[in-house]
Amino acid sequence: MPSNPKRLLEDLKSLLGRNKVIEDEAIVRLYSREPSGLESPALAVVFPETTGDVSRLAKYAYSHDLRLFPQGSSTSLSGSAVPLDEGVVVTFEHMNRVREISVVDSITVVEPGVRIDELNLELAGKGYMFPVDPASSAVATVGGAINSGAGGMRSAKYGTMRDWVLGLEIVLPDEHGSVLRLGCRTLKCRQGYDLVRLIVGSEGTLAMVTEAVLKIAPLPEQVVVALAFYPELRDVAEAVVAVKEQGVQPYIMEFMDDRTVEAAAKTVEVSVEASGHMFLVGVDVNREAAERTASWLSRTLSSAGATRLYVAGTVNEAEERGFFTLRRSLLPAQMRVAREITGSPRTLVYIGDIAVPPSKLVDAVEELRSLEAKYGLFTMIGGHIGDGNLHPAVGLDPRNKEQARRVEEWYLEVMELALKLGGTISSEHGIGLLKREGLRREFQHLGSEKALELMKGLKRLFDPKGVLNPGKVV
Amino acid sequence: MPWSRARILEEAEKCAYCGFCEAACPTLPYGRHRGYGPRGRVALSGHLAAGGQASSEVLVSLYTCLTCAACTLKCPAGIDIPSLVRAARSLVAAAPHKKRII
Repeated sequence: MPSNPKRLLEDLKSLLGRNKVIEDEAIVRLYSREPSGLESPALAVVFPETTGDVSRLAKYAYSHDLRLFPQGSSTSLSGSAVPLDEGVVVTFEHMNRVREISVVDSITVVEPGVRIDELNLELAGKGYMFPVDPASSAVATVGGAINSGAGGMRSAKYGTMRDWVLGLEIVLPDEHGSVLRLGCRTLKCRQGYDLVRLIVGSEGTLAMVTEAVLKIAPLPEQVVVALAFYPELRDVAEAVVAVKEQGVQPYIMEFMDDRTVEAAAKTVEVSVEASGHMFLVGVDVNREAAERTASWLSRTLSSAGATRLYVAGTVNEAEERGFFTLRRSLLPAQMRVAREITGSPRTLVYIGDIAVPPSKLVDAVEELRSLEAKYGLFTMIGGHIGDGNLHPAVGLDPRNKEQARRVEEWYLEVMELALKLGGTISSEHGIGLLKREGLRREFQHLGSEKALELMKGLKRLFDPKGVLNPGKVV
Repeated sequence: MPWSRARILEEAEKCAYCGFCEAACPTLPYGRHRGYGPRGRVALSGHLAAGGQASSEVLVSLYTCLTCAACTLKCPAGIDIPSLVRAARSLVAAAPHKKRII
């Protein structure tokens, strides 16, 4: 913590310009919290507009032992973006330009503060898209998604951020505020050790990203969408197997358990008859193959035991008929149910982010339900069934200490069950503050505790003074 | 019916800070910071109702809201953001001296 905060603020203003520093306490607080419910005050917020600004800031922080907390749009669910140690938040919201789109090279070059949906709007004009689509894509920034290693609904087909970042410009927290350019703007790139992928998912603990070269993909010509409901969990698993056995890699494959469907249907207006476990699947096709695919999907999902089945030939039709409404209402439904249970407006929703091999999904859901009984916590379960990523969620009133303790224990045991089933504690939300113990247990489970030491060594190598986002990840 | 401080606080506390509202806001892209968007305005309304200071940044944030309600359509918690902002403005207007709201 700086010994003279007043002097620090004056230094920052002369370093960056007065209009790029905010010290108003109420405004700083807007950058000191995140949806995980964690909150910790910062001294100020700075708004760099160029790589040069970031470099000067890094150099100053290094020589003055100042802590910096890089931030996208504060949508982390793991405590990755919350400031600690009375440092300064570095928000990239003013570095938000799409610098280049090259269809020939299949890339786009962007600043870190570009929001993912805004990028996709620009790309759509050229018939392209950036496929990583976290649920928060309307607000999430590219820089935040890079640092959290984000995924989304399309991850079963397209993977996560680590699969789409080709190159990065980064600033190191050293005596020069060194600016490095890593990776390539070509799809193939063998540049020694892969430092690009080391930065992806590093949650702002190693370097500050100031520019990214991203791969882009053509928009699918057409997507056939089916929405099915099953009485038994095992039927859903069978449906997944049946789809995959045909050699089809769906565009999206989403799941919500029956009680979550029931809660969601009470939260939003649903135009289909929704009861049972929900399975939403979309398959991207050539226009000529749409009809054939729709009838194949219909047969396949019915044979797996669907009690209700709706099929749309296009995404537009699926939107008009409300196929996505239930899945999109997952967060609102989780919040509404959580508030009903706690009886308090000040209710937080703890959301797990485990992944298990898709073949173990039924076991995972059944175990999650047994944990519900053990901890007395109503658990809503939804997720990306195509890649085995589940988001079990419970609500709590943070003022209720006993409830908070139970939720913390539940959260750890959810991670344990993922490990037991051959999965992982975090798929796309990152480690942050909330999953550090989970990460330790994952390496312990793998008999690879030394991996944590390697990670701590990497942190020291990139950031010897612990300037960047201290206390997170490792 | 006018909103009480308690109701403003209660409404502001419903915010999960997801930020989904921000994409719909027409003023946020032109503002200097997060306070020019609905997520910030909800938090700042709560700040005023809790007795926080009405600094110039706080006032500008609240008074640049167009109360168009585009954000409310996106809010998973169903917060009536324009009404909340209007209620926070009325707190400012009713304060005995405008700089401090206690």
